[in-house]
Amino acid sequence: MPMLDDNVLQEVKKALANMDKPVTLELFSQAFECGYCKETHQLLEELSAANPLLQLKLHQFESDAEAVKQFGIDKIPAIAVTGEKDYGIRFYGIPAGYEFSSLLSAILMVSTGITKLSAEAKSFLDNLAKPVHLQIFVTPTCPYCPPAVMLAHQMAFYSDKVKADMVEISEFPHLAQKYSVQGVPRTTINEKWFVEGAAPEAMLIARIKESL
Amino acid sequence: MLDFKLNLGSNADAGALYDLIIIGGGPAGLSAGLYAARYKLKTLMIEKAVVPGGQLISTQWVENYPGFPEPVLGQKLAKDMETQAKLFGLEIVQEDVTSVQLKGEIKEITTIYNTWKAKTVLIATGSSPRKLGLPGEAEYAGNGVSYCATCDGPFYPDKVVAVVGGGNSAFEESLFLAKYARKLYLIHRSGNYSADPILQDRVKAEPKIELMPHNVVESLAFAESPRKIILKSTVSGETSALEVDGIFIFIGAIPNTGLFEGQLELAGGYIVSDREHATSVEGVWAAGDVQEKVLRQVATAVGDGANAAHAIHSYLMHRS
Repeated sequence: MPMLDDNVLQEVKKALANMDKPVTLELFSQAFECGYCKETHQLLEELSAANPLLQLKLHQFESDAEAVKQFGIDKIPAIAVTGEKDYGIRFYGIPAGYEFSSLLSAILMVSTGITKLSAEAKSFLDNLAKPVHLQIFVTPTCPYCPPAVMLAHQMAFYSDKVKADMVEISEFPHLAQKYSVQGVPRTTINEKWFVEGAAPEAMLIARIKESL
Repeated sequence: MLDFKLNLGSNADAGALYDLIIIGGGPAGLSAGLYAARYKLKTLMIEKAVVPGGQLISTQWVENYPGFPEPVLGQKLAKDMETQAKLFGLEIVQEDVTSVQLKGEIKEITTIYNTWKAKTVLIATGSSPRKLGLPGEAEYAGNGVSYCATCDGPFYPDKVVAVVGGGNSAFEESLFLAKYARKLYLIHRSGNYSADPILQDRVKAEPKIELMPHNVVESLAFAESPRKIILKSTVSGETSALEVDGIFIFIGAIPNTGLFEGQLELAGGYIVSDREHATSVEGVWAAGDVQEKVLRQVATAVGDGANAAHAIHSYLMHRS
């Protein structure tokens, strides 16, 4: 049985019709000890069939050490959304529920090159001296989460210094423990600094500045 | 069960002059959008969240909106309202408004991405959860302090939580949280609850919930292990400590009117409007929770939105 019902698939096709350049979804998966690998794989199969510019590339997490290292993957299922290069856009855990919009947005951004970042944000990112790693902890049922994920992914797309991970926290309870996540969205900056809720662009930038 | 929600916004034209811009996509805005689109007004909705629906989105079940004898999921009702309005041509963009210019023939609504222009504006920005104002409350938001049970309830399986409030939200959300938590203390400053009697009956029948009337939360001792909140009795003035893993706060709302201060008449932060929903500024209307009014419900917001759209349609007809 397909994961995407007909209505959603039609919407997906309509959205992907705006694609310009090819996009590859690099999926890291394995057949055992992975809660949602199978479902994520099926989702990406259906998604990549919806537009010829969208390609799925499957990597085995336990055996494909080179790719795991190249993309810096440390948990599964993992998706890297890549285009002309790897921008540091990652999804850890299945992008279901509201996060499905975050995945489609990332694909369209990489394909069209269009971001919604303000001029201020771009100039801040142009002058970044140090690397920034953003992790956005989410759950699929959280309607406030996609804006936080999309903002972080836009920053990763725009700047080589920024990497941004969506982390579906219910699949990685040890991370909920480690980063004291009891509410979503929660963003960590370089492992240590936190932002609660879907922070507007200016607030996230102010917090990144503090962390550097 | 997996579902997939897709919402990528429309390709609205920032160069166009709209007949109507609706700020806010809750039930009031969506109803106004539906009516305005059917009046063939060129209508744009600006909503800051990725999914319209306002407070419906963080409400688990709605059981007092007519037409649904079985309780309807807040998120489903919101999605259906959005689909219906879009069907008739409502355009929706997901942007956060940073400033507004309401005076004059052409109104300007500025977001961090665009400046949108329209002949009329409907403000339907609703309200946000009121905070207790305790030291540490902001610091622990999302890590022990929450204002959204459907968002954060699942983080408290078999845990002990406190809920603060005495109204419908506090009671409804307590019943939802009791599905996860092992024990729930419902704290209220008095013994008089404003929650609907049917909700009070259900809460009293739920063995996990313990009512703690006549108490206020004095402080959060969340740096300690185990975590505690300090309560003060409103009767005796004595303080006591209560061990909890988290606290949910439902003590009413504050109107989202910061953008409009100094531009139109407010009362207690809410927008003053006449029976046609017109505000003190020509060409600007208000609908839903953001208005000064008595009952703030989905059912009343929907009526406000329809009435306001009707008034806006008449106004534009007489002007052209």
